[in-house]
Amino acid sequence: MKKLIFLVAITALSESIATAQPTAITIKSEKATNIPFREVNNAVWKDIKAITVAMLPQNITTPMLTISSVRNIKVKSINDGNTIAFLLEWTDSTKDMIVDADKFCDQVAIQLPMHPDTLPIFMMGNKNGRVHIIHWKAIWQNDIENGFRDVKDAYPNYWADIYPMAEKEGDGTKGKFAKDISALDYSKGAGKNFMPAAYAGNPMSIFDRKEPSEECMAESFGTLTTQTNQNATAWGVWENNTWKVIFTRPLVSPDKDDAPLTIPTKIAFAIWNGHFENISGKKHYSQWIDFTTQK
Amino acid sequence: MAQVKNWQLKRDMKYPYDDNRPNKQIAFVFDTNKCIACQTCTVACKTTWTSGKGEETMFFNNVETKPYGGYPLKWDVNTLKMMGEQSWDKASGEYKGKTIFDDTKGENVNGWRPAERDYAFPNMGEDECSSIVNKGAFFSGIHDTWMFYLARICNHCTYPACLAACPRKAIYKRPEDGIVLIDESRCRGYKECIKACPYKKTFFNMVTRVSEKCIGCYPLIEQGEQPRCVQTCIGKIRMQGFLSKPGEEKADNPIDQIVHIKKIALPLYSQFGTEPNVYYIPPIHVPTDFLHQMFGPGVDKAVEAYKNLKDDKDLLAAFLLFGNSPKTIHHYKREGDFTVGYNEKGEVITKVPMTEPVYVRPYDDKDHGTFRHNTP
Repeated sequence: MKKLIFLVAITALSESIATAQPTAITIKSEKATNIPFREVNNAVWKDIKAITVAMLPQNITTPMLTISSVRNIKVKSINDGNTIAFLLEWTDSTKDMIVDADKFCDQVAIQLPMHPDTLPIFMMGNKNGRVHIIHWKAIWQNDIENGFRDVKDAYPNYWADIYPMAEKEGDGTKGKFAKDISALDYSKGAGKNFMPAAYAGNPMSIFDRKEPSEECMAESFGTLTTQTNQNATAWGVWENNTWKVIFTRPLVSPDKDDAPLTIPTKIAFAIWNGHFENISGKKHYSQWIDFTTQK
Repeated sequence: MAQVKNWQLKRDMKYPYDDNRPNKQIAFVFDTNKCIACQTCTVACKTTWTSGKGEETMFFNNVETKPYGGYPLKWDVNTLKMMGEQSWDKASGEYKGKTIFDDTKGENVNGWRPAERDYAFPNMGEDECSSIVNKGAFFSGIHDTWMFYLARICNHCTYPACLAACPRKAIYKRPEDGIVLIDESRCRGYKECIKACPYKKTFFNMVTRVSEKCIGCYPLIEQGEQPRCVQTCIGKIRMQGFLSKPGEEKADNPIDQIVHIKKIALPLYSQFGTEPNVYYIPPIHVPTDFLHQMFGPGVDKAVEAYKNLKDDKDLLAAFLLFGNSPKTIHHYKREGDFTVGYNEKGEVITKVPMTEPVYVRPYDDKDHGTFRHNTP
């Protein structure tokens, strides 16, 4: 019964959104010779048409977003036959790049259906209706640009007597009880026993991240799962009260968990505004938008 | 939301999931009258579980001084403020107010989020009395100012707010012992549990970027041993055991005897609605209004029963087992002048005299021809 109500709610919402969007829009990935992986202001983007997609506060499942702070997202896409790139732009007057007990970061994600012919629900997919998600977080961007935000970065004058099993060579402590040890070094030895999530292999606990992106898959709420193969990239720049984020991935991916992009498909977006404590389901989302790739 | 039965509130209440009590429910009894806030439990827990990177201000176990102490700051006052009037029916003892699962405004739990700084003062208000002791009151016997120590761990609630709030279902309650755990491989650091837990016993690790919580020392529990905070308590204020489902209590289970049968130990802020499983013997010298708010309407009878403890031999026998074995006591029996604790298999694990023998050493040590005195 609950499932039926949920499906009716989703259908009703989809219809209301479809009517709210004045005309059907299609995002086209245009052919380009050069793919800028990190240059959000590269000249190649200038000639590409931006499609504006409406973003709505998530109010289908708990926890819901009660205050909307992002109205829309501008999307551009290009491909060179091998790599496809997306440039996403949205207005955000605050740059939120760190996380802590009471701090939240800005985030954006794109979502693609694994099987466009049997289109799953636009909100995280549904059982047997898998979606492929590529996620960028400002905290990961910060890790790469400014180094992993360790305890000392947050509290420069803090003191911890010892970290158990902190084994660091060459600092005079003979490999025991290193006084000042980075999260990365601590995680390399037996100290990992005292970092439970790192020990458990949690993808949130990576201390030497190479890309500020994560590729995931999902089959409904609460099922987001990190993919084994990470072959997407991302880069974000905040300027003039605007986030500009580039996502790239292989146009034809050898990874069986990646969604197809060479056939007409759909794409959806999600944005989290860290300043307003957006996290988890407290996000702005878009409906499925038509997506085609120029060959 | 489902309707579930909360025996502490004596009524049904809303909860996001159906009633699903575990096969066994871990439970604790803490005697606030015996706690001296030595923090041995805190240190034992900290050195065992939270001494790593990102856990610097994390205390799965803490001892705070009431009325002013609180870790994180104002953890209880902030939730109480949000909940509105919390009244109990005087005749039936039924709770009439709202729980944290009511009026949740688009979330699963009505909670508040501590600031990072709120974790920075674990000993705020330590040893502070409720008011200044008036001049001369020292000499007049009992004075009207008060304080007491409140030892706190995760309550391993029957209806955990942390579990209810997690959109990823990364938090689970073990059917074999009722321990509530965060799956450290599954949590993505949404911090919904931190906002939801009214006792503020889930924590965010800024280094691993996910949440952590008291694990009830489950590796010890699985070996039939009591958790670190219980084993190390030098004041012997704690006992860990398993609480039977309401209506199935057994008189030979010390936790059942204390909680269900004699009702001398009470849940902390049961009005939150999570059915917490740490039960406190209320402090006997604290004004009843304050105690009513913390421990509910049963507090007057509990204080009275505690004052008359020496006359209730069965209850006293359960109390004397506190701190006398590292093992979890499942059953106990009064045998002559002893109280005997048994493990789950029915093997004796401790035997404690009902009355400790008293030895008086005379000042005059005739054997050595000298006087004994107490200076070192």
